Amino acid sequence: MPIEVIMPKVDMDMSSGRIVTWHVAPGNRVEKGAPLFDIETDKAAMEIEAPSDGILHDPVDEGTDVPIGKPVAWLYADGEEIRSNGGGDAPRRLLGGESEPKPEPAPPPRPAPDRSVEKPAAKGIRATPLARKLAGEAGVELRDVEGTGARGRVQADDVERALEARSAAPVTPAPRTDAGPLAVTRSEGGAGMPIVLLHGFASDSASWALLERHLDDRPVIRVDLPAHGRSQPESIDSFAGLAAEVRRTIDSLGVEKVHLMGHSLGGALALALADTRARLVASLTLIAPAGLGPEIEGAVLDGIARASRAESLAPWLKRLVADEALVTDGYVRAAMAVRQDEARQSAQRALLGTLFPDGVQAFDLRAALGRVEMPARILWGRQDAIIPWQHALRAPGRVALHLLERIGHLPQIEAPEDVGKIVRAYL
Amino acid sequence: MSVDVTAEVRDLSYAEAIREALDIALATDDRVVLMGEDIGIYGGAFQVTGDLFEKYGADRVMDTPISELGGAGISVGAALTGLRPIFEFQFSDFATLAMEQIVNQAAKVRYMLGGTVSVPVVMRFPAGSGTGAAAQHSQSLEAWLGHVPGLKVVQPATPADAKGLLLAAIDDPDPVMIFEHKLLYKMKGGVPEGHYRTPIGKAAVRREGKDLTIVATSIMVHKALEAAETLAGIGIDAEVVDLRSIRPMDRETVLASVRKTGRLISVYEGVKTLGVGAEVSAMVAESDAFDFLDAPIIRLGGAESPVPYNPDLEKAVVPQVPDILEAARGLAAGSI
Repeated sequence: MPIEVIMPKVDMDMSSGRIVTWHVAPGNRVEKGAPLFDIETDKAAMEIEAPSDGILHDPVDEGTDVPIGKPVAWLYADGEEIRSNGGGDAPRRLLGGESEPKPEPAPPPRPAPDRSVEKPAAKGIRATPLARKLAGEAGVELRDVEGTGARGRVQADDVERALEARSAAPVTPAPRTDAGPLAVTRSEGGAGMPIVLLHGFASDSASWALLERHLDDRPVIRVDLPAHGRSQPESIDSFAGLAAEVRRTIDSLGVEKVHLMGHSLGGALALALADTRARLVASLTLIAPAGLGPEIEGAVLDGIARASRAESLAPWLKRLVADEALVTDGYVRAAMAVRQDEARQSAQRALLGTLFPDGVQAFDLRAALGRVEMPARILWGRQDAIIPWQHALRAPGRVALHLLERIGHLPQIEAPEDVGKIVRAYL
Repeated sequence: MSVDVTAEVRDLSYAEAIREALDIALATDDRVVLMGEDIGIYGGAFQVTGDLFEKYGADRVMDTPISELGGAGISVGAALTGLRPIFEFQFSDFATLAMEQIVNQAAKVRYMLGGTVSVPVVMRFPAGSGTGAAAQHSQSLEAWLGHVPGLKVVQPATPADAKGLLLAAIDDPDPVMIFEHKLLYKMKGGVPEGHYRTPIGKAAVRREGKDLTIVATSIMVHKALEAAETLAGIGIDAEVVDLRSIRPMDRETVLASVRKTGRLISVYEGVKTLGVGAEVSAMVAESDAFDFLDAPIIRLGGAESPVPYNPDLEKAVVPQVPDILEAARGLAAGSI
């Protein structure tokens, strides 16, 4: 199979690059690491090396603008049958890919993302524009707010009252903190096997709130990673050490079997846990998981970990999602509000350096993914700017892949209904 | 307002302030001429021009025949030749007779001749109800002219603005229509001495408040201010914006106020439907200030009726202070 050469992302806010020069003529051989082509972005020109040995075919014309991640040429092995554009449905074999991934199904034509599932309810609620704006920014559900205006209309002060009540009350109904080393929040009620949720770096267990509503009223157990949410800052020396912390916490829960779900770093931890506690885990759901490849947008993680005020945090948060409009001022302020504890911030920065030194994922869980036997699935946003969604293609064939169009690194926040629907189908 | 801060401020009536502006313009600019029916010896239907005829003579203060179309046409033509005519209507209702000259000529000539000429004419329209002058002498037709690109349309609410907007209008290279409320002519207020201009297209915040915004024009500004005082007594802090100019309209001042208060009432004497307040409401609804609205927008405008002769009915067809109070209290209480 030919190897696809893609337009790399060499620059933070680059969305496409222009092919300036090919250093190798079509049909000629190139060695891995040799200069293959030059690109030019808005900001810089750069020489790109061949990702692999091979014979160059079908390079795009010089002067062409190519979106990042799109193929610019194919490298064929000696004697390999040459097909136009890598065969069209050629498997996207990425660098270092060991397994033979299934051909990527052509994405079905999809209309603009339909976020209206929730809207009829929200639309049916009488609320002023200001109340809607405030509720949206604060993540308050209008249907949970008692409207005191004419005909029950929700007004701004109603939302403010609801917010005050929320900050006075616990995040979830009657949560309790277990005795484990990490803070755990359990939802009250719900029936069936619980779902354990592991959040990502620089997030916290509250980030699951939007998705939780779409989980069929299952009991939910949310864990705060060390130095995140309500868990204490502590020194972590390695990914294995972090995984051990999580394992100890899960072991202390007294649960027999759970559905395990993790996002990003939490995805990697979920995978590690599934690998070591196979009997505990009934199913594994990984959302944009870390650990499946070296690439990660370190600058964003670094920016978030270092941000000391909303103004410096906002640009990085916007990189997490496909639709920047989701990151409202209110969202940023709320995110900054939980990032005020310097001890916690410094512990997060230390953790960042440990797990992702030099902007590289320093732990590799592909082998673990090859070992786990429970039903497993990976969900990934195709516009993920933090971890390339193509890492998903390294999963063994029995792992289901859900690649979400027009979604970035936070599918559970950007498209909670869709994610909920997918997850429910497996419960 | 470009006011000389050292200028003395006297109490003048609205009519006196207009006369002072005319006097200053006549004295300082030879191109300025006044035209209108009975503005000479008689001193104008509302005695605005007063004794200017005696002071400047028949060449500068010209009585025109009882033909609004003719008078408007003469003033537009005079403006085209380089004069700065100020044409007075006896009643704004008679703008209907002069629409050809106002809408098809004054507003269009500069555009149609590629900017090679301009029409620096000023027209003054005594407008509004409250004088018992009945249906054909009591209308508020400013929105008609406000609909026409090429015109500027202002509605001074205070003596100081009556003078400042008139002087600004005289200096303006394009046709400016000034709607003066007949009930304001006798109202007194502080007016700076000397020459100053009130900028056209700039609203004035007459009272700052945080709970709701009342955007008003002309005499409604005073009703809104009166209502605001009463509202303050019951804990409702109303901001009153005097629009002053309806074309161009001061979008920024209105939006900034609505963003602050989240509630909007627009009060205007013209017929409510398709009126000035409809434009104010739509402007807010279409803007980013929409997201700051915490209640429906309310328009208080004239009734769907000719202005009646009967004094009680005449009052009933235009917004009054109690109407503003009721709307404001309803908005503040969340019952609207």
